[in-house]
Amino acid sequence: MARGLRLSSELIAGVLVGAVLGWGFDRLLSTSPFGFIVFFLLGFAAGVLNVVRSAGIAPDRSRR
Amino acid sequence: MIDPIEQFHLNKIFTIGHIGNQEIAFTTSSAYMLLAVVLIAAMMLGAGRALVPGRFQSVVELAYEFVANTIRTSAGSHGMTFFPLVFSLFMFIFVSNIVGIIPYTFTVSSHIIVTFSLALLVFLTVIIYGFYKNGLKFFKLFVPSGIPAVILPLVVVIEIISFFSRPISHSVRLFANMLAGHVTLKVFASFVTMLGALGFVGKVGALLPLGLTVALTGLELMVAFLQAYVFTILTCIYLNDAIHPGH
Repeated sequence: MARGLRLSSELIAGVLVGAVLGWGFDRLLSTSPFGFIVFFLLGFAAGVLNVVRSAGIAPDRSRR
Repeated sequence: MIDPIEQFHLNKIFTIGHIGNQEIAFTTSSAYMLLAVVLIAAMMLGAGRALVPGRFQSVVELAYEFVANTIRTSAGSHGMTFFPLVFSLFMFIFVSNIVGIIPYTFTVSSHIIVTFSLALLVFLTVIIYGFYKNGLKFFKLFVPSGIPAVILPLVVVIEIISFFSRPISHSVRLFANMLAGHVTLKVFASFVTMLGALGFVGKVGALLPLGLTVALTGLELMVAFLQAYVFTILTCIYLNDAIHPGH
């Protein structure tokens, strides 16, 4: 359970931060909904990157 | 049915004061935080300084060596600058988790605002110390080496989002583990009382969830230590980025 929670929290955190960034971007520059779409997808990519790093498949940033 | 969420309710003990219209209350959570701090302080101050350590002194020395080794292996000997921060975080989370396993007590780290504040403290330390120590070289953290220039902007944006998602995953991990563990424990324990009310057959059947509750308590004891350790080691890894970015 600990491992599942770890990996899922990594993925959700990435998507969440991407979505919030996109939403803020749209609000500031009134580019709705494109900022949200782009940053949501980028956030998903960042979440996958987090998961891959935390699972130890890709080398960590600190150990490169 | 016993409400498994009820153990997380905050009750006001007394009011400290007001900031604007916002009441600043001393709650159950504050009381258990204070209890954890008092326990740690009593352990540290009461340990003594004998050459041949007694029982308490051994525990304290063991805790020191453990945290110091964790920092040295994951952040280098330079990371020992942050020993006071990391040691305080580890001891606070560990002691409050252990206290939370005792029945009828409150678990401080089962509230996301507590774990998020701790994670935010680490995150801001990393940013402020990173810029103080490395200046603009700190931005190298977001630029991995050996990436073709065509996809570099994309990679940098992804790295930045990944960096900002750190305090969230850092805090959610500790919070979710403690919350899920305590809810599971409560649900299984309530099965015992529910089955026990059903006469002789129920009492025999209640032995199964009772055994599971005992086993889960052992598991929770391990999770309490493991999550404090995971929080500490992640803190060290993040601090390592602040000390040597772009290695």
